[in-house]
Amino acid sequence: MSSQGKEKRKVDPITLAVVRGSLETTQRQMTLTMERTGRSSVVAVSRDFSNAIFNWTPEMIVQGQDLPIHLGSLILATQTISKYFKDNIEPGDVIIHNDPVYDGSHTLDWCQYKPVYFENEIVFWLVSKGHMADGGGPVPGGYNPDATEIYAESLRIPPIKIIEAGKLKKDLFNLLVTNVRTRENISGDLRAQLGALRVGERNLLALLKKYGKEEVKACVSELLNLSERHMRGLIQELPDGVHRGQAMVEDIGHGLGDQPVDVEVEVEGDGMKIRLEAPPQIPFYTNSYRANTTSAAYLGLVMFMKPEPPYNEGMYRPIELDYGPHGTMVNAKEPAPHVASTTCPAETVTDAVRNTLAAAYPGRASAGWGHCSAINVSGIDPRSQAEYVHMMVSTLACGAGAVEGLDGWHGVGPQAGLGGATCGEQEQLEYGYPLIVHDYSITKDSAAAGRFRGGCGVTCEVEPVGHEMTVVVWGEGRKYPASNTEGAKSVWIDNKLCQVELINEDGSVETILENKVLKIRPGQRIRTTSAGGGAVGPPLARDPRAVAGDVLNEKVSVEGARVEYGVVIDPKSHQVDEVATTKLRAESQDKVHHGL
Amino acid sequence: MGYKLGIDTGGTFTDFVVFREDGTWELSKTASTPEHPPKAIREGLLQICDGLKVDQKEFLANCDYIIYGTTVGLNSLIQHKGAKLGLFCTKGHQDSLELRLAHKEDGHRYDFYYPPAEMLVPRWLRIPVEERVNAAGEVLTPLKEEDVRAGIQKFKEAGVDSVGVCFLWSFLNPTHEKRVGKIIREEFPDAYLTLSVDVLPQIREYTRVSTTAVNGFVGPVLRNSIQEIESMLHDMGYRNPIRYMQCNGGISSGDFISRKAVYAINSGPAAGPTASLFFGERAKLSNLLTLDMGGTSTDISIVQDGQVDIVKNLEVERYLLGIPLVNVVNIGAGGGSIAWLDAQRILRVGPQSAEAIPGPACYGQGGTEATVTDALSVLGYLNPDYLLGGAFKLDRDAAHRAVREKVAEPLGLTMERAALGVFDVVNSNMIGGIRAVSVERGYDPRDLVFVAGGGATSAFLGRLAADLDVKRVLIPKVASGLCAFGEAIADVKHSHMATYITHFSKLDLGRLNGILSDLESTGRKDLEGEGFSPEDIAIQRFMEIRYADQIHECTVPIPFQGELSEENVGKVKELFHRRHEEIYTYCEPDNEPELVNVEVNGIGLTRASSRAVGQAQKKGAGESVAAGRRAYFPENKDYVEVPVYDGRHIKVGQSITGPAIIEEPTTTIVVFPDWKIELKPASYYFMTR
Repeated sequence: MSSQGKEKRKVDPITLAVVRGSLETTQRQMTLTMERTGRSSVVAVSRDFSNAIFNWTPEMIVQGQDLPIHLGSLILATQTISKYFKDNIEPGDVIIHNDPVYDGSHTLDWCQYKPVYFENEIVFWLVSKGHMADGGGPVPGGYNPDATEIYAESLRIPPIKIIEAGKLKKDLFNLLVTNVRTRENISGDLRAQLGALRVGERNLLALLKKYGKEEVKACVSELLNLSERHMRGLIQELPDGVHRGQAMVEDIGHGLGDQPVDVEVEVEGDGMKIRLEAPPQIPFYTNSYRANTTSAAYLGLVMFMKPEPPYNEGMYRPIELDYGPHGTMVNAKEPAPHVASTTCPAETVTDAVRNTLAAAYPGRASAGWGHCSAINVSGIDPRSQAEYVHMMVSTLACGAGAVEGLDGWHGVGPQAGLGGATCGEQEQLEYGYPLIVHDYSITKDSAAAGRFRGGCGVTCEVEPVGHEMTVVVWGEGRKYPASNTEGAKSVWIDNKLCQVELINEDGSVETILENKVLKIRPGQRIRTTSAGGGAVGPPLARDPRAVAGDVLNEKVSVEGARVEYGVVIDPKSHQVDEVATTKLRAESQDKVHHGL
Repeated sequence: MGYKLGIDTGGTFTDFVVFREDGTWELSKTASTPEHPPKAIREGLLQICDGLKVDQKEFLANCDYIIYGTTVGLNSLIQHKGAKLGLFCTKGHQDSLELRLAHKEDGHRYDFYYPPAEMLVPRWLRIPVEERVNAAGEVLTPLKEEDVRAGIQKFKEAGVDSVGVCFLWSFLNPTHEKRVGKIIREEFPDAYLTLSVDVLPQIREYTRVSTTAVNGFVGPVLRNSIQEIESMLHDMGYRNPIRYMQCNGGISSGDFISRKAVYAINSGPAAGPTASLFFGERAKLSNLLTLDMGGTSTDISIVQDGQVDIVKNLEVERYLLGIPLVNVVNIGAGGGSIAWLDAQRILRVGPQSAEAIPGPACYGQGGTEATVTDALSVLGYLNPDYLLGGAFKLDRDAAHRAVREKVAEPLGLTMERAALGVFDVVNSNMIGGIRAVSVERGYDPRDLVFVAGGGATSAFLGRLAADLDVKRVLIPKVASGLCAFGEAIADVKHSHMATYITHFSKLDLGRLNGILSDLESTGRKDLEGEGFSPEDIAIQRFMEIRYADQIHECTVPIPFQGELSEENVGKVKELFHRRHEEIYTYCEPDNEPELVNVEVNGIGLTRASSRAVGQAQKKGAGESVAAGRRAYFPENKDYVEVPVYDGRHIKVGQSITGPAIIEEPTTTIVVFPDWKIELKPASYYFMTR
């Protein structure tokens, strides 16, 4: 990844500014096209897709505003795809692929790649990645917790020309959609991706025509160089050193215990080496192949460094990423199962990188976001007798992490998405699927306590209507809360975590800790609670008026204010009892000093 | 003797367009007084009466209509200064407003310091009410009225003055929402009341609650402002109703807009396409793109086949509005937009603006930033002695200094290249906005005629048009008051809507016709109540259709009146497939689509547009070439002496070839080389390439 820009051509700063704007507009239009024409809810409602533009090398020249967890992996994938066909690529080709062995992230994310030709050479690559509602395999919507090999997860697609010289290979297309549930919707999503690629190509050709190939290429190279220089400048500000850290991947059903991800970060001058290490891969779907690990590590880096736009691959040039030996949970090899990996262990890898940097270089705080725990629902809709599969994004909308000066957003996560997904309108869900959403609200006391607190998690309660519903429980975050930083610490841990519960007709509640597939009938409900975001700074330093505001708005309880923040609030007037607060905070401070 | 007056309050200026009985009009402008809008109206009236040489009392007594485009609602939203609002929600869904679909806006993905949107209703004033209606419109849980009464008590104690109600599926079964409305009216009659079914009776609870909250938040502020202005004008001798511009492109009564205040948000720019349509009709053109550039931003909108483009679900100031509104895309690039270098030292223009104070450097009020206006000045396009109708004398040195220090030197460019560069960047921002209203809506921008709005637009519009391969540009003399003009000639328009979700294969024609005729008769009744006779009422009907499982609908006009037959419905379906292909590049004619919403517009025809003739032309003899000026054109690679014409002396039919500059009192037109321009009878220039 650390190649230096070689082009010497001096670019016109005005053309540079215009090219930069055009590239960003183009990426944005691709995304709008996907959103408006996508057919399955995971694309059209949840926006679980990403589009990116690459140059001829190929290097990513626009990292857009879509999902961070998709984008880093595309860097490796596009290199691999572009080499796969060697010289056997021609104008009008579109390549489709999802397989992690060829640097896909996970097999539910289907990517289509289009080379953009101008004057007989490839100047750009356009890529559209979308999470398919289903990828085939035994469990609707993927996420098979019983898979011990990748073969038991979903359909694998190595690089294939789905369109050759402008001609769609209908038989191949049919092969792909025949292997998945809700084939009509998936076909629609694939067409939406092609639409996005066409829109992108149209814009880029106009740009090339106007400014000429050489000028545009020179600007593109310069944009990469500028981003590289910017990131090097930021790294240069950090004193040299080697730092180590660790984060834990939860055991969410395999019984092998929690697994550590170790990180060593070496800062030297204006460059950085990130070395990852993890235990050998396990027969459970929480192994990450290297492209997905790249996304996760880069996200941790960006959350800490907070570079300024424009965002492109240049900002990763100063970084040397070492995934450790082949065959581990962060550098998996065939046949490791992996479908959970885009959130677990990805979010742990992100934490490990960011937290290691944060501990080494205090004062640049950025707390962790909640990790993803979610449900997918599926079944036969009794109204139409048609099969449906839906990922309930409202269940994975965690609290965001705080930064210095700003509390985290409520219910906007998880960390892997940074707010890029959406949960859709609940009425649309109740219309489209045979279910009822009884609750979709902010969870009290779920945000990590700190001078700047995390965002609250969200409680979601869903019941099937008129049929037996399959519920696939996946994700994690049920054991370790979101990462705090700069001395933030919560007293109550349990209510900061993700939770999944089955509520029976008689009101009895069963807590579900492990990922599994269950069937529920009308009268039974699944209740999920997403994790709160991490906090920044000691909670005893939080402005008591801010705590009082949270109590008034029932984001923090009166008891929570006392226990977490040392702030005494009158339950009736919601005013701060100044005298009692001063006293309580002094006592609590003593306890902190004495390590109690 | 009947005058007609359009007033449009903008950020910097309040514009007035007055029509005389004979159909001629005049434009005047005064500085806006945002802290107290009536002040600017008083001053403007004095100015108008001065110009018309009539007594103010006599003028107002002879005024048939005043139409007002107010920004009070929008300002209330921008500054978060609105009502103290309380909200009743379905229990379990009270946080929908705050969770905002679990999404952080694009453009801020890696901006960790971007704050959440300010809540118009804090959580403690969003009261969960036990009640539930399901997706079939059946009551699952009856309304618990105690929750409502306790909530009202809480609201009263908290000093709430506006109450909104938004329950799930209320548009299918409004019983609970209406019952709560009745309780509020009985027990809390002073509160401003917004029911979600009254402002947006359509599916999507977040969109509905957001629209409801905006209505409740700005409603009391707007109502008070309207009362103040109406009583002021009536005290001054005006005797007729005042009408207000709405964001759907039509006007309405003060009573209506006081209740549905959300329709006043962004209403000014919504008048732009109406004005463009007027000139388009005179020029026999029906595909128009309006660019209206103000001090801080530019509003871009489209007219296709003589129809103003209407969309729904737009975010205004980070608040989602579900009501139908004119598709106006706002680009953060205006005359005062600042050119700057970002962290990676790439040139950007806007969205920061030098505002009115200090304004661009060339205003000589102490501004040091290089703005778009300064770039215009460096290129020699602006009259050094006659900026904004003589309000400012141009400080060219200050403009040069700003462009040199902020752009040319840091980037190692010549002054001309730097100044042109600011344009190129602005133009590329504009092109993004133009694509959003054209290509993304299925229209080819090359088929469009550009229409200039705003005083500065015509200085660069030729260049922008050429960049997009557009060959025709229309510049009304009234460009700098385009919205006030549009307001003065607009028709009354009320939007009525209902949801009826069904596959077309299962469509119950009787039910559809019932809904349409109910909406239509409500529409007619409303307009008759406002004094329109049946022959002055027009009805427009639409269906919103999608393929099953799609999330976004296409709006398709129903090209039939009265009861619909099976055949009529089939035709509408066909129109849907065609529209889908225009917008999204493909359609699926074998796929049975799904009806989602129906919409009916009641239009009260004011006939103002057909009576308008042209701008009052001052009888001016003499030469139209006022002077020469040196201006820079990249085609010439240097400054050249260009003729500068005083627009007031140009005769209808006179044709001028570029390069040239035409100075109208409030607009500067740059005729670039390769272009020629001609003044047409209805007081507009037509520029072609």
